[in-house]
Amino acid sequence: MAFELKEKGNQLYKAGDYASAEEMFSQAIQKNPKEPTFFSNRAITRMKLENWAGVEQDARAAIDLYGAKNPASLKSRYYLAQALLELQRPQEAHEIATEAYQASLAAKNVQSENLSKTVLRAKQQLWAAKEAARVREMNGTLASVERLIEADLQRALDDLQGQLDRGEIGQIGFSEDQKALREDTEKTLQVLRETFAIASKGEVQERVVPDYLIDPITFEIMHDPVITPSGTSFERVAITKYVEQSKADPITRVPMTADDLRPNYALKGVCEEFLEKNGWAVDW
Amino acid sequence: MFATKRLSKELLKIKEHLPPGISIVKSDNLEEWLMDIKVLDENPLYLNETYRLKFTFSKKYPIEPPEVQFVTTPTPTSPTPASSDDNAITNPRRTIPIHPHIYSNGIICLDLLSSAGWSPVQTVESVCMSIQSMLTANSRNERPPGDKDFVSYNRRRPRDINFMYDDDNV
Repeated sequence: MAFELKEKGNQLYKAGDYASAEEMFSQAIQKNPKEPTFFSNRAITRMKLENWAGVEQDARAAIDLYGAKNPASLKSRYYLAQALLELQRPQEAHEIATEAYQASLAAKNVQSENLSKTVLRAKQQLWAAKEAARVREMNGTLASVERLIEADLQRALDDLQGQLDRGEIGQIGFSEDQKALREDTEKTLQVLRETFAIASKGEVQERVVPDYLIDPITFEIMHDPVITPSGTSFERVAITKYVEQSKADPITRVPMTADDLRPNYALKGVCEEFLEKNGWAVDW
Repeated sequence: MFATKRLSKELLKIKEHLPPGISIVKSDNLEEWLMDIKVLDENPLYLNETYRLKFTFSKKYPIEPPEVQFVTTPTPTSPTPASSDDNAITNPRRTIPIHPHIYSNGIICLDLLSSAGWSPVQTVESVCMSIQSMLTANSRNERPPGDKDFVSYNRRRPRDINFMYDDDNV
């Protein structure tokens, strides 16, 4: 019975009717609160609905039911890390994603690529938070203006939530307005910071990522670099994908397997240090 | 997959700088690009000519190679607009270069572009340069053996063809 509800939920999810899918999964959970897939499916549905607090609860419930050592929990850990990023809790997101990434590699799970990206995004958000704090410290005036703008946003968001709760607007309108408000504020803050940066004659740093930190396959900054027998370093997920298919070193064509890859800790350290100071590099 | 992000980064780099004789014609989506290449030395076979390459990327790029071939313009199948003057500027005449490894329908027989010879560290730029130097080094004014049959019977896409790389001197 509960599994029939889940099946209905899956169909609705595939059809793009996320609100009804969520309802089906919720009913399934009421009938059987011990089945992890009900929670993980509701988690991904709530991701679509951008209910991040709900995603966090469901993902945590699924992980508990699976047991954290179970590779089946990796998907839910990915959802959880995503939700934490959206909830502006990058430190927790980073911990969850890094741990899950390691577990995923060990289990050769398909989530490795997603988790690898999430680790990078968490690093970026950590940097952004630190950077914002640093900039604010530098300039008390900027800080108070930013606080006013953010308070403004919060009021507008509360107002919007009120409208939704009273049924004056629908879920779609709510999501769209919420996104627009956030984007507007982000833009205002960016312009404000740039203006202050120019006014304070702060040294403008050129934003360049050194080539040796860039993975030659994805062209992105590396966070888990590995080195081939011929001595070139790549991002682990990217080179593994290639080597599994070609069974050869991409530079020399000498036969090799993924087992021949070794972590490059020195380069990893340099990448980490660079990202700590230059979180923007994730989006480069 | 990586394809979109990697291609948008390649595009960024290409727009900043390209080696001499290579230029980008069209890249308004991340599935198909057009590049123009010129042979820079005095090779009489290709003197004063510009050739057009079409790159087609799969979702698996750069793990898998792009499909690359020469194309002609104006495309024989597309109807030419009445005012062909404007068209000549935006769509100048392009032909298929003569080469013992390039079929007259534009298909290129190059190890680098086969699944076995491809490496993900190659880029659109490096592929263009390889093809450029493949033309530069050539002195034979001929098509591959069996060109006529291949062109009239082949309906396969380049990536599905198993070329024989039996002649490494060209």
